[in-house]
Amino acid sequence: MNQQNRPTASKAQTPPPVIPLGPNRRGGGPMGARMHAEKPKNTKKTLGRLLRYIGKSGVLLGVLLVIMVIVTVAELLGPFFQACAIDTIQKDAVSGRLTVDFDAMRGYLVMMAIVFVISAVLSYFQEVLAAKLSLRTVRAMRNDLFCKISRLPIQYTDTHRHGDIMSRMTNDVENVSNAISQSITSLFSCVLTLLGAMTMMLYYSPLMTLIAVITIPISILVSSKLAKFMRKYFVRQQRLLGQLNGQVEETVTSYKTVVAYGKEEESVKKFAETSNQLRACAISARVWGSIMGPIMNFLGNLQYVAIAATGGALVLSGRAISIGSIQAMLQYSKKFTRPINMIANQYSSILTALAGAERIFEIMDSADEIDEGTRKIDISSVNGHIEFRDVCFGYVEGEPVLQGLNLSVSPGQKIAIVGATGSGKTTVVNLLTRFYEPNSGQILIDGIDIREIPKADLRHAIAIVLQDTVLFSDTIRNNITYGHPEATDEQLRRAAQTAKADRFIERLPEGYDTKLTESGSNLSQGQRQLLAIARAVLADPKILILDEATSNVDTRTEMQIQEAMVALMKNRTSLIIAHRLSTIRDADLIVVIRNGQVAEAGTHDTLLAQDGEYFKLYQNQFAGIQT
Amino acid sequence: MKKLFRYLKPYSFLAVISPLMMMGEVLADLCLPFLMSFIVDFGIEADGLQTITDSPLAYGIMSTLWGKDFTQMQIILTFGLLMLLITLVGGFFGVFCAYTAARAAQGFGNDLRRDAYARVMSLSIEQTDRFTTGSLVTRMTNDIAMIVEFIEQMLRMFVRAPMFLIGGTVMLILLDADFGLVLLFSVPVLLLTMILVLSRAIPMYAKLQRRLDRVNSVVQENVSGARVVKAYVSEEQESARFSRANDDLCDVNFRVLKLMAIISPVLLLIQNGAVIALIWIGGVNLGTVEATGMTTGTIMAGITYVTQVVHSIMMVTTMFQSVSRAMASATRVRELLDTDPAILGGTQEGSDAQAPVAIRMKDVSFRYPTAIGRPVLHDINLEIRRGETFAIIGATGAGKTSLVGLIPRFYDATDGSVEIDGVPIGEYRLDALRQKIGYVMQKSELFSDTVEGNIRWGDPNASHDEIRDAARAAQADGFITGFQDGYDTPIAEKGASLSGGQKQRISIARALTRNPEILILDDSTSALDLATEARLQRELRERLRDTTVVMIAQRIASVQSADRIAVLENGTITACAPHDELLKSSPTYREIYRSQMAATEKGGDAQ
Repeated sequence: MNQQNRPTASKAQTPPPVIPLGPNRRGGGPMGARMHAEKPKNTKKTLGRLLRYIGKSGVLLGVLLVIMVIVTVAELLGPFFQACAIDTIQKDAVSGRLTVDFDAMRGYLVMMAIVFVISAVLSYFQEVLAAKLSLRTVRAMRNDLFCKISRLPIQYTDTHRHGDIMSRMTNDVENVSNAISQSITSLFSCVLTLLGAMTMMLYYSPLMTLIAVITIPISILVSSKLAKFMRKYFVRQQRLLGQLNGQVEETVTSYKTVVAYGKEEESVKKFAETSNQLRACAISARVWGSIMGPIMNFLGNLQYVAIAATGGALVLSGRAISIGSIQAMLQYSKKFTRPINMIANQYSSILTALAGAERIFEIMDSADEIDEGTRKIDISSVNGHIEFRDVCFGYVEGEPVLQGLNLSVSPGQKIAIVGATGSGKTTVVNLLTRFYEPNSGQILIDGIDIREIPKADLRHAIAIVLQDTVLFSDTIRNNITYGHPEATDEQLRRAAQTAKADRFIERLPEGYDTKLTESGSNLSQGQRQLLAIARAVLADPKILILDEATSNVDTRTEMQIQEAMVALMKNRTSLIIAHRLSTIRDADLIVVIRNGQVAEAGTHDTLLAQDGEYFKLYQNQFAGIQT
Repeated sequence: MKKLFRYLKPYSFLAVISPLMMMGEVLADLCLPFLMSFIVDFGIEADGLQTITDSPLAYGIMSTLWGKDFTQMQIILTFGLLMLLITLVGGFFGVFCAYTAARAAQGFGNDLRRDAYARVMSLSIEQTDRFTTGSLVTRMTNDIAMIVEFIEQMLRMFVRAPMFLIGGTVMLILLDADFGLVLLFSVPVLLLTMILVLSRAIPMYAKLQRRLDRVNSVVQENVSGARVVKAYVSEEQESARFSRANDDLCDVNFRVLKLMAIISPVLLLIQNGAVIALIWIGGVNLGTVEATGMTTGTIMAGITYVTQVVHSIMMVTTMFQSVSRAMASATRVRELLDTDPAILGGTQEGSDAQAPVAIRMKDVSFRYPTAIGRPVLHDINLEIRRGETFAIIGATGAGKTSLVGLIPRFYDATDGSVEIDGVPIGEYRLDALRQKIGYVMQKSELFSDTVEGNIRWGDPNASHDEIRDAARAAQADGFITGFQDGYDTPIAEKGASLSGGQKQRISIARALTRNPEILILDDSTSALDLATEARLQRELRERLRDTTVVMIAQRIASVQSADRIAVLENGTITACAPHDELLKSSPTYREIYRSQMAATEKGGDAQ
């Protein structure tokens, strides 16, 4: 029925030139992004695989670890020497005056300086190496992921949201990268610091160490409770922000309708409402967020006082403990609490990274496109005889699309496949190119089952021009020579000529070297189609598939495209998936598909005379409105 | 930025309070090292009870609380509790500051956002086109968020860092004038390093972003163009292309990270160098024969202050980064606020609904303000009678949509005049003008609301029956009642779950609900099959006897029953007559007709 029941894309509008203003920043709100730590499903396995990736740069990792150990030790030695240096200031027992053992102090200070210089230099290398490690790992991951994506069957890209695949490539990889460069190194040095600080503190005074340790569970408890509370507001804030974005986006993209129906004021009111809510929520989120710092400060200072009091008590009770030691304890206790907060922070970002890695591995684990064919064919000797034998197929189980399709096309024949939307016209293309595999039945080219032919050979023998023109952000030249980068300029020009694309290309200021912007948006719909046709001409296939474009272009442009297509089809076996009947009358054979089978086949005239399915489709599309 | 500050005015009280609160917090933080040094010097040092008299402050506090007799433990506990008390007070100030700053900044942001949105809603179509949707959304959300963030930071951190810097320096010099020397050296070195690193890193970030965009676009193209990649067996070629983009990205990324890696070691080095210097200076001063008041506690307090000062410098420099980002955002938001609506209404309320000519265009020409080259429309002269059905046909880019867009003043004609009911459209109030018109877009625009809510846009006071009635006429009632929730079905994602034809019919119902004097159909039946379209047209003719209909179509079948058909070619009307006459007089029309209809005729003759 609804032969033309497809949305028409924007047509007559002459878009005013776009003024690019401001960068396109990705992502949602500026804050609270890390508030939602995701949970990976299988932590151990994912971690193992991730580590294997990192492990590929084993030497680098080894060096990095050694450096980290040295840096951490150096950072722990700092306060030790500092304590020694301060202890060189002694009270003279006789005069009660403070005296300084300058030689000793100079010695300690020099030691301090050496330790600090070493630790500074090494920590520079540590950061650089960590960056290198993470970039190397991530680069390998990205490359692997991309290669994997290009090996996936079409079914995968058809059934998964593109935005989702994209976000694995960008956000998830980014999260993994951050985790490697920051979380892993800082986690490692935090643990080392913690152990080191603990040892040093124990060395100075076990009792004071115990007191310092007591505050740790308290601070963990408080911070996790508080984080839970904050999270509520941050989540709400993100949601409101999203809602606000949605509102702006919606009214601005559909601004004409808003204006035409005088809804400006109403939408301003609606916007204000959401905006007010966001304000209230953001204030709460900020206030709760700001409480964390002071509480941690308080706990830190509590620890300080506790250590000082204990230290004081120890000194008074005559136990041998120096002031320098107390000072060192105080310093270490600070080193002690910081890593705990850090570990808590890093924990959530590591979880996020693991969840991201899991999503990446999920793609890597999906099955490759099957390509078991071994019977190499010589492309130039393909005749182009196509046969479908009892082919059954369905995208979803229980919903068959093709049910025993039989079809035979002789070499050089031009056949048109028609049928209502959803009748399975495009499916025929999907099966012939082996984008999908039939559930049963056989498809043969020159008598060879296409499953026996390597996919690369098969696809080299076939060229398709799709409904939605796919162009790459590259030069026009590279778009036409796509798949045949070795083509000469002469071949390029001839292909463009055959496709009637040469005239508009040569009129462009940079001709064939014009760079297309993202997805070729600087060309008109018609011009884009001509480029796609030129690409198919250059490929010079034996078998041609034209998935005909629908009403995206006006009648005159379409006539131009038609001409180009006719030129393209010369001397090839051509399959036209027709959406408009007006263009297929010259086909050698018209095949009407209905209920997944060939309902009728014949030429235009014989089919019309039959007064059957084709006649009905035809009437529906072309009968004028009789009033 | 300055202009935006006036949005902060209503919150000036809060905006003044916040830095004051922050000062409270900073002062508390600055007190702590002093108290700590008291604890060490007088509580722990063996002769603390004697030396405490040297410090009037410490002694003062102790003697007022405990009289002349107190133990060292009392000193530790007193100053310890004082420390905790001050921490609490400081914390309170901090949280309070966060509260006032958040109220001020978020209030500011809320007002700004609402004003900016109201401004967007007052712009002409052409102006919003020029901004582009993406950029408007970014300005409204990310840019404003960036400014709000900045204001909040300013109210809190911009006070904090300089105060720490100044306060720390003062305290340090108070402790011992010689300690100041340490800062004299370390501060400039640190500043210089930061400036050098950041001034090189910031441009690299822009480059990094471009490389990242490149990687993303390769992936995007490969995912959405997977069929072509596979059909042309270009997987390897694409992998190589990706690998190049990936390498480029990683290269720049590594260079940036390497540069930024300088910062923290330098910071560490300077901070620790300062500590060493402090201990040395302290030791030297201690060793001198004259009493300098130097104690171990003083040295320790000094170390804390130096650390605070160094960190505050770090903070100041990172703040500069956020200033430059916020400035860029502010410029973009101001650009929006400074854009005056290009199309303003007049004062005329209604019009003489009896005028025989509903729409008149006289010598109209039009070009998009920023476009160069020939105008989109020129020499348009038209008179559309009341109640007439007037069709426009023509090739892509001929200017059909631009022509009808002049009627509701989506755009204003560059030259010539457009009148409705004999009144120049500029004299109508905008809402009064648009109230007369029902406009159905080429691309149906639906909103996230229920089906009924979407149709009600035409007339907010319409009853359910009126809405159903309009839907019935638009041939939409059938499929709407077929939905599980009927008219209450929510429309999500701009109607992604609806077919093109369904969306078009809902849009038509929306226009019909308003009972417009003028109905504009911009190729809005293209997704309907001809039988449905025929029913719709019949229905429209029945209902809209007095309504002037202006319709654009691609298909001859859709327009041939119109009273008159205008053929638009290259921006001007080359013919305008009923169907039969045009077939004779207009070669273009004939050509279009042939290309679409010849098939039927030939088929009928069976050649």
